[in-house]
Amino acid sequence: MSAYGEFTTVMSEERYLVEGLRAMGYRVEVHAEGAALVGYHGDERRETAHVIIRRAQLDSASNDIGFVRGKDGRYQAILSEYDRSIGYGNQWLGKVHQHYKESQTLAVAKSKGYIFRGKEVIQTANGPQIRLQFVAR
Amino acid sequence: MQQKTITVVIDQNGDSSVDLEGFAGQGCDKALKDFQGDDHAKVQRKKAAFYSAAVDSREQNLKSGQ
Repeated sequence: MSAYGEFTTVMSEERYLVEGLRAMGYRVEVHAEGAALVGYHGDERRETAHVIIRRAQLDSASNDIGFVRGKDGRYQAILSEYDRSIGYGNQWLGKVHQHYKESQTLAVAKSKGYIFRGKEVIQTANGPQIRLQFVAR
Repeated sequence: MQQKTITVVIDQNGDSSVDLEGFAGQGCDKALKDFQGDDHAKVQRKKAAFYSAAVDSREQNLKSGQ
């Protein structure tokens, strides 16, 4: 054994965010310049986002969920209080980060020449963990 | 020669841990950096084999007069 690290995932690349949301079953809109989010009355809201899940895929009283790219390049979620209360809160966001990190890890490992050896989903008391294994050439 | 393996565990919040085995020296740092990407490091440590491999390498260099 030689080294160990723990890291906090930073969502800064659009493609992995989109891939992650698609892996969770959502159809995703991508807007390079940002587009307005739509509220539960069908009203266009002031908030804009670069990556959007339209409310039709959520609850009947949901608002759109958006991810906006900040000046620091990181994506932040825009979630209404209502949507947070019906299951799109921190736990759901954790799942988004988990899918993002899985997509990113697989893509980066491939591009750097590591060989993928397998994926395992481990059920824990806090939720599923994803275990990816690689070997170096 | 020991196989170089990388195990990445992504928890329910999307945070990850990276465990490297069989690496030594700069190859170890590079692999850790590859899997860190833009993420923030919370914990990072070298394990015993990293240092023993570095010492082995230095001893080899001394023996060969480098």
